[in-house]
Amino acid sequence: MTRGITFGIGLSLLWLTAVSPDAARNGSIRGRVEIRRAVASAAPRASLTDGGVLKAPDFTDRLRSVVYLETAPRAAFEQIDPAHAVMDQRNETFVPHLLAITTGTTVDFPNSDRIYHNVFSLSKTKTFDLGRYAAGRSQSVRFDRPGIVRVFCDIHSHMNAFILVFNHRFFDVTDADGRYHIDNIPPGTYNVIAWNEGLASEPRAASVPDGGSTELDFQLR
Amino acid sequence: MCRSSRLGHYNFLKMRTFRRRLRLWRDSPDRPSGPKAIPPRRLSQIAAVILITSGLAGPAAAQSLPSEPIVFGDGHVTVGADVSATVSCAQTTGLGSCGDDTGFFNYSDYEYSTLRMFRVDVNAIVRASRSLAVVADVRSDNGEGPRPYALYVRLRPWSQYNLDINGGRVPPTFGAFPRRTYASDNLLIGYPLAYQYLTSLRADAVPANADELLRMRGRGWLSSFSIGNLTPERGVPLATAFRWDTGVQVHSGWAWGDATGAVTTGSLSDPQVSGDNLGKQVAGRFAFHPEPGLVLGVSAARGQFLSGGAARAVGAEGGNSDQTAIGADAEYSRGYYLVRFEAVRSMWTIPTIPQPLIATGGWIEGRYKFHPRFYAAARFDHLGFSSITGTTRTADWDAPVTRIELGGGFLLQRNLQLKASFQRNTREGGRVTNLNIGSAQLVFWF
Repeated sequence: MTRGITFGIGLSLLWLTAVSPDAARNGSIRGRVEIRRAVASAAPRASLTDGGVLKAPDFTDRLRSVVYLETAPRAAFEQIDPAHAVMDQRNETFVPHLLAITTGTTVDFPNSDRIYHNVFSLSKTKTFDLGRYAAGRSQSVRFDRPGIVRVFCDIHSHMNAFILVFNHRFFDVTDADGRYHIDNIPPGTYNVIAWNEGLASEPRAASVPDGGSTELDFQLR
Repeated sequence: MCRSSRLGHYNFLKMRTFRRRLRLWRDSPDRPSGPKAIPPRRLSQIAAVILITSGLAGPAAAQSLPSEPIVFGDGHVTVGADVSATVSCAQTTGLGSCGDDTGFFNYSDYEYSTLRMFRVDVNAIVRASRSLAVVADVRSDNGEGPRPYALYVRLRPWSQYNLDINGGRVPPTFGAFPRRTYASDNLLIGYPLAYQYLTSLRADAVPANADELLRMRGRGWLSSFSIGNLTPERGVPLATAFRWDTGVQVHSGWAWGDATGAVTTGSLSDPQVSGDNLGKQVAGRFAFHPEPGLVLGVSAARGQFLSGGAARAVGAEGGNSDQTAIGADAEYSRGYYLVRFEAVRSMWTIPTIPQPLIATGGWIEGRYKFHPRFYAAARFDHLGFSSITGTTRTADWDAPVTRIELGGGFLLQRNLQLKASFQRNTREGGRVTNLNIGSAQLVFWF
């Protein structure tokens, strides 16, 4: 009983400290990434023996970028809860094409096609091969090291995707318009980087005000 | 001198004479034009260039070659390529020796060895509209001028139906292996005998009788007969995977299978750009996909085999000189395993030989990936022939061949692979009856 009361008081004090007017309030960085270079298509190799008129390549997935803090706040490295993410295989495409996760995240690779797929990666950050598996089945990989992981399908050479593994949570994947929003950042000055299909921008400094937001746009050429 | 030494010396002299004759023939103006086998040293240099330019030299170089098909023209044009350099060493004299494929086990229909070759293959699809595309493939072997390998128009009349009509130099209809002839698709380095090994039969020359055909056993690389074209020339494989036929092809696919039918000018053994024989070939294939990872296929083809000149020489203008073939294939894959089987049975009717000439080729291959970068593969392959009776003997009309190939691949990067294999070839006839060949291949594709 005494231990319960003590814990309750401690928790209340912690809450009071957190909401006290003197405590710094987190802010955010938002902006837009503009891709000004030729983006590689997701077109399959020109298959001579398979039928079908080649469908027009889709570039939209390739226009998505990741914006992240190069140096994250110290507290960012504490208590990253293990999470789950999904990279689907649908219509001979990895969906999403770009996935950003924190270390310790387990990514599921379900096969939503009727044909076999074989997910694998030769990246130093994580080398794996999930073998061939059929529709409705899923295999998982846990990513414990930060870095860039290039993912392929051994059967369909045009299938590829990126997984960016961070050891902090201060990143965001841009939407279809190139917009991003990294929130809950402690006030301070940070170097911010935009990344798209293997190309990283020069780090740019951004100051996050107390409880406010900063605009930062990028152009990748 | 012991018997084996005498035989060895005799074989050496015989081989020296044979090589001299071959050199004379190769240098002669009558020799049909075709790429020559490229020296191994030059191939090694080419392989080194591929390695360096494809990214092993450093991060900067890694950006210099494409890793995905090149798309331009607002998405209307897609260009891909497959480049391979292959070197090999045949154990000709003793352990550790490095010589040519003196048994011509791996020579294909262009008078060069498939195990000593530098091949550049560039393919493109030009998408004119949602229903029309032009497909082309240009190939250069051993640095010689590019040749069109495929060039056809692909039409999809109804966008809601998976039905294509191809016209021109169209993809093979018969069999499963011809769909995987790119080096990047081949688990090993050598090709299945049924699609590569040269039998002694020719489309432009006819043996006068069974004896003449029996004399050519095991000499398909340079066969000669007394009727038709008298110049020594290569024979034909059961079905060639290296040349495409010209005609019209219809292909349709469903969730559980696909079917292909074609009418073309040549035959399975001897595809043509413009038909020099007197008939058309009809070919069909049906593939059944009962579940993901499993493909069961059957194929059949029938067409005029002899060229017009050869048929006229033996009075067979009205037919009676055709090739009929049936095939069956299966593929199953799961996890890290892949197993393939294929059998081809071909029957040729030659007016001067009373019995039909039958050849049956069958092979089974498997692959196991034991690491994201490594796999091991093996293939057992056999080619057998029916018997015919000459004046003095009854024998298989060509020498049966068996090949065992063991090897594997290592992915240097996603689209750069190094393969190595060891081949054991045995033949029940011909000048060379046994030959071990080691080979290595570097493949780059995008």
